Amino acid sequence: MTQPPPVLENEFETEDIFVNMGPQHPSTHGVFRMVLTIDGELITDVTPYVGYMHRGAEKLCETMDYRQGIGYMDRTEYLANFNAELSYVMAVERLAELEVPERATWIRMILCELNRLSSHFMFLGAFGTDVGVFGTAFVYGFRNREVIQDLFEEITGDRLMFAYFRAGGLAWEVPDNFETRVREVLKDSREGLRELDGLMTQNEIFRARTEGVGVITAEDAIDWGTSGPTLRASGVPMDIRRDEPYLFYDQVDFDVITGDHGDVFDRFYGRIREASESIKIIEQCLERLEPGPIVPDRLPRMLRTPAGEVYTRTEAPRGEYGIYLVSKGGNRPHRLKIRSACLSNLQALRDMTIGGYVADAVVILGSLDIVLCEVDR
Amino acid sequence: MKGVLKSLGATANAFVRRPVTRQYPEMHRDLPERDRAFPILLWDDDIDEPYCTGCHACERACPVECMTVLMKDNPNHESVGGDSRRRKIIDKFWIDYARCMRCNICVEVCNFEAIAMNNTWTGHEVSVYDRADLVMDLPQLLAQHRAGELDEWVADI
Amino acid sequence: MNVGLFGIENVNIWVDAVIRLQLIVILMTVVVMGLIYGERKIIGRFQRRLGPMRTGPFGILQSLADALKLVGKEDLRPRGADPWVFELAVYFVFVPVFMAFVAVPFAFDWNVRVLELGLFYVVAISSINIVGWVMAGWASDNRYAMLGALRAAAQGISYELPLILSLIAVSMVVSTDAGRGSLDLGVIVAEQGHIPYIVWQPLAFAIFYVAMLAELNRTPFDIPVGESEVVGGPFVEYSGIRWSMFFLAEYAGLFILSLVGAAVFLGGWAWPLGEEVGPVWQLLLTAGKALLLIFSVFWVRVTMPRMRIDQLMGFSWKVLLPMSFALILVNGLILVYDWPDVVLLASNVVGLIALYLIIDRGITRRRVRPPARAGAATTA
Ligand code: SF4
Ligand code: SF4
Repeated sequence: MTQPPPVLENEFETEDIFVNMGPQHPSTHGVFRMVLTIDGELITDVTPYVGYMHRGAEKLCETMDYRQGIGYMDRTEYLANFNAELSYVMAVERLAELEVPERATWIRMILCELNRLSSHFMFLGAFGTDVGVFGTAFVYGFRNREVIQDLFEEITGDRLMFAYFRAGGLAWEVPDNFETRVREVLKDSREGLRELDGLMTQNEIFRARTEGVGVITAEDAIDWGTSGPTLRASGVPMDIRRDEPYLFYDQVDFDVITGDHGDVFDRFYGRIREASESIKIIEQCLERLEPGPIVPDRLPRMLRTPAGEVYTRTEAPRGEYGIYLVSKGGNRPHRLKIRSACLSNLQALRDMTIGGYVADAVVILGSLDIVLCEVDR
Repeated sequence: MKGVLKSLGATANAFVRRPVTRQYPEMHRDLPERDRAFPILLWDDDIDEPYCTGCHACERACPVECMTVLMKDNPNHESVGGDSRRRKIIDKFWIDYARCMRCNICVEVCNFEAIAMNNTWTGHEVSVYDRADLVMDLPQLLAQHRAGELDEWVADI
Repeated sequence: MNVGLFGIENVNIWVDAVIRLQLIVILMTVVVMGLIYGERKIIGRFQRRLGPMRTGPFGILQSLADALKLVGKEDLRPRGADPWVFELAVYFVFVPVFMAFVAVPFAFDWNVRVLELGLFYVVAISSINIVGWVMAGWASDNRYAMLGALRAAAQGISYELPLILSLIAVSMVVSTDAGRGSLDLGVIVAEQGHIPYIVWQPLAFAIFYVAMLAELNRTPFDIPVGESEVVGGPFVEYSGIRWSMFFLAEYAGLFILSLVGAAVFLGGWAWPLGEEVGPVWQLLLTAGKALLLIFSVFWVRVTMPRMRIDQLMGFSWKVLLPMSFALILVNGLILVYDWPDVVLLASNVVGLIALYLIIDRGITRRRVRPPARAGAATTA
């Protein structure tokens, strides 16, 4: 039954309309769906729907042993795989009380920061498209990411699903020319950052589109449980790498990038600056890298953990990626819960979007830099 | 206005530089030796039989259960007058490439170094019209290494 | 009444018109396919890609292949669509663009018809297509299409005005035998034998260029068709040949506005070679200048983010429109008091600087960004 048309009284009556954005929409970054209620071009309400990509990764991991689970971590957070793997193996290591050799830790750090770099490149590109640069930012971002991806492939053998970290260390040694290659990639990345920065940051139209849009105050950002660049853009200097150092982050020197206004531009620019910080960190790590073992001396063939529970978190490019792991002994988790940064960040979407324009919704969603696979798991 | 001009400059800069496109089907990029496509079985040229003994280790370790291994007595074993020292050998082997998640675990658990990740382009270009064609059987899995078209990479830890 | 056509005397005027129009349609189809190919190639270079490379050597046949594919595709119509309006919308977009070619001078004495009100005719007829856009969006029974169509209507009407006014400003100062002012495109071009009007009227050109981008729905003004927002806008439900006709119209529109821009501001066929060099050179000149404009449009397209609808409307009504009115006023004063041409230039340069300052100070520096956290700095 179609609804009867609204009765027009004396005055001209108007009606809000619903626009279904997604799950198949060019700029919802996957299968995210939001229903916009719009009054002309103004958004009066947003209802986000998630879950189209739910594959039960957490439950799946409970059916397999600790090594097999690593591959699934890659598939939850496919733009920052190393960070996701790291959270997981750190949880297992803490449960099993494994000591990670120094060299492995430094390499992990380098790879995680490189991954942050590549993830931010991806963000810059995708965000450019959201703002409306006809594919240019996207292609630039992708090209720069590709260089890093090539390096990952040389190290791990795969472009995306690395499955390279193991509880206790790394799957295998990095290639001999690792250091020179990383330096090459860094050089290229620095150039690439400059290119993307030049393309967008100072452009007046770009600023007009992003400044003062999608503002979220520090209090709200904390209340919604956001983390990572989204939270830092609101001026909250929270960075797990510094507040609760894991790996050797307490031994390197880097700045925590915060913004002042909590708007889309701060979230964008914060990521550009964060990427340069990553380059700084990697360079320090390279200095400290020394030959040595990459796995502990005595590593059992089949890893078993004592009963217990542990929560580990790492600073992934999108925020806090946490793993809550409960073990009842044996070789597989009893319960695994992934604390997804994107899901929490996405909560804040409604607050940011209402009152803005339709075009803003796209930009705000882009600035959250969500990975739907991680949101839905 | 200045920023707009700067943006135009950035694209102009890209315009005069060389495109980075690689034209894929004609021009294959060199794959690194560690490249992981799909797992394949290796062929022992000295004795002319597969390395694989059908020990089921990989089958059990595979996270997605995409392997099926059947073992048999080796007809070429020393005890029956052959020249192989493998008492058991692989009889039938299937890997469902459609399910494999290329995690490398099967390679890690194999005690006989009988399985390796394909690091050639042949391993990547496996598109077919029917999913059933992606279930590789023993001859298909062995073919590439047997023909000497593969230089497998062995991880050193 | 009979006229001459390509040296043949005494051709019936209707036959003549049909033949010329046919030529135009064929020419345009070819040109549009070339433009699409060129755009993809050029944008590819801007993005450090190669662009189409597969069909034919260097992908030359790509547009042809696309056209064939589109023609062969199924022509879908959503069930909820209004059948007549949906199907007719195409023609309202498609036909006016081609009709506009009637008055465009390609070379000395080379056009379909010489119209005394040529400029007026071109802008008038090429603004009909907004009707088609709104029809397409409304009839598609799709929210995105409707949003896009309404955006298109708002934008089309807003930028029509500065576009026309900037052209009028130039047509006012054209000096002819009967005094100043002419809307005949042929005359306007012929007048620029020595110095094109872009020199005398740079402000008018700037306004024209911006308004042209908006009229053509090109970035940064591609709001009605913004892929990342309204997924193609009014045409989201169209497919096959109907969609390709929209596409054709879009590129034909780009070509015609570039031709008009080349004719009015860059001296068309006349500058710098004059009237006597013959049609070949003049054709090349016209095409070259138009292509230059088109190239710049492509360049802007790959570089600029999209504006938002309120910013776009504000820019038109608060900046471009007052500027173009002022321009006309000043030009009128100059004509009335018979001041020398240098004043034209001076006033325009002053205007350009004012425009720059308005954009720079007035628009981009005025945004207030409250701090996200109490006590944080307020600066940008
Ligand atoms: S490939 Fe290796 S692990 Fe698998 S059955 Fe053969 S010998 Fe055993
Ligand atoms: S690579 Fe992993 S998923 Fe594939 S067959 Fe080997 S163990 Fe199974």
